[in-house]
Amino acid sequence: MSDDLETRLTRALRPVAPSEEFSARLLARVGAEARLATPVLPLRRRRPAAAWWWSAGLAASLLLAVGIRHRAAESQERRAGLEARQQVFAALALTNQKVDLAVRTVRAESSDAP
Amino acid sequence: MSHTRRRLGLAVLFFACSVPGPVGAAADPRLALPEFKDLAGKAKESVVITMDPSLLGMASRFMDSSDPEDAAAIAVIKGLQGIYVRSFTFDRDGAYQPADVEAIRRQLADPGWKRVVETRSKKTHADVDIYLMTDGDKVRGLALIASEPRALTIVNIVGAIDLDKLRKLEGQFGVPKFDVDSSTP
Repeated sequence: MSDDLETRLTRALRPVAPSEEFSARLLARVGAEARLATPVLPLRRRRPAAAWWWSAGLAASLLLAVGIRHRAAESQERRAGLEARQQVFAALALTNQKVDLAVRTVRAESSDAP
Repeated sequence: MSHTRRRLGLAVLFFACSVPGPVGAAADPRLALPEFKDLAGKAKESVVITMDPSLLGMASRFMDSSDPEDAAAIAVIKGLQGIYVRSFTFDRDGAYQPADVEAIRRQLADPGWKRVVETRSKKTHADVDIYLMTDGDKVRGLALIASEPRALTIVNIVGAIDLDKLRKLEGQFGVPKFDVDSSTP
């Protein structure tokens, strides 16, 4: 009984050469799946994409630098303007104080006059 | 009599509308102010302000006309070509000599300038001289020399300064409030 089973199994599992049709279909399918999974671009198509990214990065950096510089110049102009405004106030205040001194002197002298 | 002249001078200064006087065609309302390096070295406090037309323009751009204080200042500096201030405060009497301002007084001897106020205080020893340069009834410039025992101030304003508007700055940004009797006794 056991010998009979072993013989039948050995016969069923013996190596069998695939048919030519099966091999052809398998190779065709493997080739098709490989093409879908990893599309291979030609080398001359990759270079423009990299160059575009480099150019975009450079342009963005330049724009950022110009923006920062413009902002710094604006800030400096604002500081100078506010300082000039403060100086005008100081000059006018000082002028009025000295005119006031003249007025007070006239008043003091006139009140002392007999 | 002297008192009357001073009052008259103040009235002329503040209302500056009827100041007659010859004006030299070449007279320049801008004084050549020295740097006063020696005085600055001895002074406890120094204020040196040099505002040319471009700086005045910049200052007015940074003033807010809706703010009363700024609006008053804009009204005063409108039409000015320059504001020049040299002010020194010392911690002792006699730190400067009258000769230090002699070069300025010589410039003010030009016929274009007219001294409209001259005050001499025996109490405080504070002397103030105010000069105007006019062209007809228009003021072209103002010069002020205030000599106090411990302070010396020189102001030169170039341009059509409106003294009424300057007066309206009283009480603003630290300017003391004062009123002037415009009537002449």
